[in-house]
Amino acid sequence: MAEELIRMEHIHKSYGRIQALTDVNLTVRQGEIVGLLGDNGAGKSTLIKVLSGAVPITSGDIYIKGKKAAITSTTDAIAHGIETIYQDSALVPQLSIARNLFLGREPIKGPNFLGRLDEAMMNQVARDLLKRVGISKNIPPTTNIGSLSGGERQAVAIARAMYFDSDLIILDEPTNNLGVAETQGVLRFVRGARDSGHSCIFIAHNIHHVFQVVDRIVVMRRGTVVADDIDPKTSTVESVERVITGEDH
Amino acid sequence: MQSNSASLEKAPPAESHGSLRRFIGRPEFGPLVLLVLEIAIFTAINPNVMSLQNISNTLAFTVELGLIALAMTLLMTSGEFDLSVGSLFGFAPVLMWTLSNSGATSLEVGFVIALVVAALIGLANGLLVTRMRIPSFLVTLGMLLVVRGTALFITDGFPQRTWSAEGVWLAEALVGDFYIGSFRVYMSLFWFIFAAIVLGYVLTKTKAGNWILASGGNPGAALARGVNVGRTKIYLFMLSAVLAAFAGIISSIRTSAANPNSGTGYELEVIAMVVIGGTALAGGRGTIIGTVLGIFILRFMRNGIVMIGVPGLAYNIFIGAIILGMMALHSWLDRRHQAGV
Repeated sequence: MAEELIRMEHIHKSYGRIQALTDVNLTVRQGEIVGLLGDNGAGKSTLIKVLSGAVPITSGDIYIKGKKAAITSTTDAIAHGIETIYQDSALVPQLSIARNLFLGREPIKGPNFLGRLDEAMMNQVARDLLKRVGISKNIPPTTNIGSLSGGERQAVAIARAMYFDSDLIILDEPTNNLGVAETQGVLRFVRGARDSGHSCIFIAHNIHHVFQVVDRIVVMRRGTVVADDIDPKTSTVESVERVITGEDH
Repeated sequence: MQSNSASLEKAPPAESHGSLRRFIGRPEFGPLVLLVLEIAIFTAINPNVMSLQNISNTLAFTVELGLIALAMTLLMTSGEFDLSVGSLFGFAPVLMWTLSNSGATSLEVGFVIALVVAALIGLANGLLVTRMRIPSFLVTLGMLLVVRGTALFITDGFPQRTWSAEGVWLAEALVGDFYIGSFRVYMSLFWFIFAAIVLGYVLTKTKAGNWILASGGNPGAALARGVNVGRTKIYLFMLSAVLAAFAGIISSIRTSAANPNSGTGYELEVIAMVVIGGTALAGGRGTIIGTVLGIFILRFMRNGIVMIGVPGLAYNIFIGAIILGMMALHSWLDRRHQAGV
């Protein structure tokens, strides 16, 4: 079995009187794709926000490669190798592909105080990455994100996570609002990320998409994990749906 | 990794454009056409519009207002705007001249103090907007009243005398003038050109510019990438306040008057210049070249309609029509761009 990458232990999160997460335990191993499923309000988004540093935990511990880690901001999460790709891809539509790829970690050319972007390097890397994630058409890296399709945007976001060698890529509903062919493209990107040694947490409402790509399924209900080792190879969509809705009892 | 789906392989919009199409698609294209048309029409009706003396006279004030518009471009690109710039334009020279005339400080020290106070006012604006999450419209509207009220209070509403500036090196450096033939050139023109080049460079070529664009385009995404959106906006509020104060001081020396009421209404004219130039009111897109064009469009409009005999009171009709027309044009260009045309 692969080594453990992330371990969340006894995670509690409350918003005032509302208990969003109760005693959640979750482990992700290296090179593993974990599907995180649950109905609306199950706590998936809160759990992901905790792991990506968007919201602080109320109590509990997070371990990364066996060491206890404090994740209090998105910058902390990125520094720990955790990259989150949200439904809207967390990209800036008005910026080019290359500028989005390097946003927050821009390479500087010449004296540092001038802060001049090394655009030639950024464009070259972007061009190579677009090929690496499988966008075979010749999209110039100077193209604004706003003029790309939904699938292409997801590909750019995944490419960014791969370039910065993130250990864990969290994909929050990456196939939402995508057509059939684009969805297949995104699922291929995810498999490609795993093949390159990255771990992923894959959240999707469409269970069929999850079954196509993940190694293990974790189900949440009412703020807690109710199943954490469902093998998609030996389970059916219907049986997982019953776990999600609580009809398995 | 394998090649992806066919739907990911539709033709790229940007590369299929010819250079002419790319030029037409730029936000600066509309303002450029408008400026050329404006100059052509005014000159056809009254050739004196393009006389050296008229251009020189128009430029003198244009660049002062322009300095504020340049900083406002960066601020608006980051998704905020500043209504207090007009009051700072009036307040900063009042503060400088009050300190200097009372003998409390030299003119030079008064100048530095005025800019530092302006920076602190910008800092207060920025902190209130980013930390307290109050919309910049409300924060800077409140600051407008505070700053204007302070200027009126410390002067009892009377202008401060400024004639002691003559021969002072600072005054010469800010608004000294010289002639090229009959063309009078003020030093402020060079300050404007310098500011336009520096801020244009910052916005288009630097990491700071990328952060400004990202802060306005998708602040959530920028934050998620580790961009310090709050600090970026605070710096821009400070820049906006300092350049408004700087422009006001230049204007007070040139006109030999530090009036606590000066700058009234400039905030809206400056925002109009920036928007006409192609900077998005909602943030995420900004252009210094466009703003320079927007500055000239509005100032030549104000000058031109007087020169061709239209009553000056009709100025706002033209400005309103231009803003509406340019918004429609930018919206159309945006839709074309999104559609990959």
